[in-house]
Amino acid sequence: MSELWQGPLEKIDDYRWRIPKSYKPGMRVPGIIYANEKLLKDIRYDKAAEQVANVAFLPGIVNASLAMPDIHWGYGFCIGGVAATDPDNGGVISPGGVGFDINCGVRLLKTNLQFEEVKDQIKELVYALFSDVPAGVGSKGDIRVSSKEEKEILVKGARWVVEKGFGTEEDLECTEEYGAIQGADPQAVSERAYDRGKSQSGTLGSGNHFLEIQVIDQLYNRDICDGLGLDLGQIMVMIHSGSRGLGYQVCDDYTRSMVHCLGKYNISLPDRQLVCAPVNSPEGKAYLAAMKCAANYAWANRQCLMYLVRKTFERVLAMSWEKLGMYLIYDVAHNIAKIEKYKVDGSEKNLCVHRKGATRAFGPGNPALPARYQKIGQPVIIPGDMGRNSYLLVGTEKAQEDTFGSTCHGAGRLKSRTAATRSIDVNVLLKELEVKGIMVKASGRGTIAEEAPQAYKDVNEVVDVVHNAGISKRVCRMRPLGVIKG
Amino acid sequence: MYEFFEHTADIGIKVKAKTLKELFQNAALAMFDIIAHKLPTTQHLSPKSKTYIIKQEADTLDELFINWLNELLSLSATKDLIFFDVRIHKLNDKNLQATVAASPVENYELNTEIKAATYHGLKLKRNKSDWQAEVIFDV
Repeated sequence: MSELWQGPLEKIDDYRWRIPKSYKPGMRVPGIIYANEKLLKDIRYDKAAEQVANVAFLPGIVNASLAMPDIHWGYGFCIGGVAATDPDNGGVISPGGVGFDINCGVRLLKTNLQFEEVKDQIKELVYALFSDVPAGVGSKGDIRVSSKEEKEILVKGARWVVEKGFGTEEDLECTEEYGAIQGADPQAVSERAYDRGKSQSGTLGSGNHFLEIQVIDQLYNRDICDGLGLDLGQIMVMIHSGSRGLGYQVCDDYTRSMVHCLGKYNISLPDRQLVCAPVNSPEGKAYLAAMKCAANYAWANRQCLMYLVRKTFERVLAMSWEKLGMYLIYDVAHNIAKIEKYKVDGSEKNLCVHRKGATRAFGPGNPALPARYQKIGQPVIIPGDMGRNSYLLVGTEKAQEDTFGSTCHGAGRLKSRTAATRSIDVNVLLKELEVKGIMVKASGRGTIAEEAPQAYKDVNEVVDVVHNAGISKRVCRMRPLGVIKG
Repeated sequence: MYEFFEHTADIGIKVKAKTLKELFQNAALAMFDIIAHKLPTTQHLSPKSKTYIIKQEADTLDELFINWLNELLSLSATKDLIFFDVRIHKLNDKNLQATVAASPVENYELNTEIKAATYHGLKLKRNKSDWQAEVIFDV
């Protein structure tokens, strides 16, 4: 990036930095960025911090415009951004605060396989997954549904997939919102959005979306690991995907129409990609109802993908998925807006929490969690880059107090895709990964360069910050063995 | 025809043209150049092209520019087509009418999925002798 961001970043403590409200006239609250000294240096290299300040302009924003340590430059909101607005106080909802890939998210499955048992079959598994799971730009799935069924999917989410026989009740219990957020209205979704999502159910997509076979290489909390049935050397599978074309079109449709809300509701913003409408306005309600449809579509999609993964493992290892112990740990959304209850100035309020590249991180005892996670808190899944690590964390009460129950969502990009492509030799990279015991299969070689480890921040640093700041706790760490990229 | 500028997560491009019509045309063609390249094996085939008439309305030129690009993206995704030719017939601050030609996606190698053109950092400006646009695509 040519010029460094010159704005103020005041140290609050070792892990939080404030952009004061006085930085820009129009900011309603300060900005707070979670980072350590090391990560902070990189933050000035792009315009993400300016975006944190811009989000502070949103009407009804509560406490602060927040950014997690995987913060980087996005469009409108920064990636890693969290903003809660109060609908009773003119609070708005912004499609740009969710993004085009609505409910892009991650799910993590365990297996009862140990690395030593299957290390010679990883290659076969990777090839089989690459052939069985549709991936890549514009990929189409084998799952064909009628338009009536498509509408059902938008309301029932992952439950629709389970009812078709591609999963279990337990899968739904281990999915944020039980795989279907309430209040989805298919009428709020345009025909174009249906068309754009059609035949993409059960497809991974491209870009940073992936499917990985991983192995647990470090335990941080033995009690929680025991409770979840996790141990060193255990094989895990991680799936990263979203709402595909349907979500993009919902965001496009509502960004287009909400441009007119700025004048109508007298809203002044420094960036039009933050266009928004009051949560309680007809436009705000319609967007929320449509966004929920796209979110449910994404949960259905990840449920389909998990089904395909289980089938592939069954085929290659000649054993049922139940015998292989392929149970879902959890599925989290990291691009979404939710109505959630928080204490503001001593009284309980329903707030509209935007998470743009941030993960919900509810602590123990939160009523939104299933019985099995009431004691430990919500599992939080943090994918890293293809050469380093991924993490399983749990949410905390402190996150509910400090960050509207939110934490980071990944490593966060450091280099642009063009810079990565320029500086990375794909053959050398693949060799380096092979030496580390990581096998990569991708539909396009371009994706491999764009998604190279060097293009990302060190996820270990990012997780250090959220752990030490107390907004989530480390449970265990995985390293990749096999990577399937779109 | 266009150049990239650095953006951490997404793709930013800078486009220049002699006229505003040409600017809209070049931006659209640049976008599809990022998305796909024609397969060498299909170069000799005459494209089974389909043409569409696109009409867009907006309150401002910026809006019209973004709506235009997003309309093409959306149409290309729903119809499985790549646009290779663009003719703009009518263009002012609020209205656009164009004829666009596309060929089936099978004739192309797909490189990058563009989810949308965004308003963030959007710059449309008229210089002394030409027009320039900067736009960031969500990829």
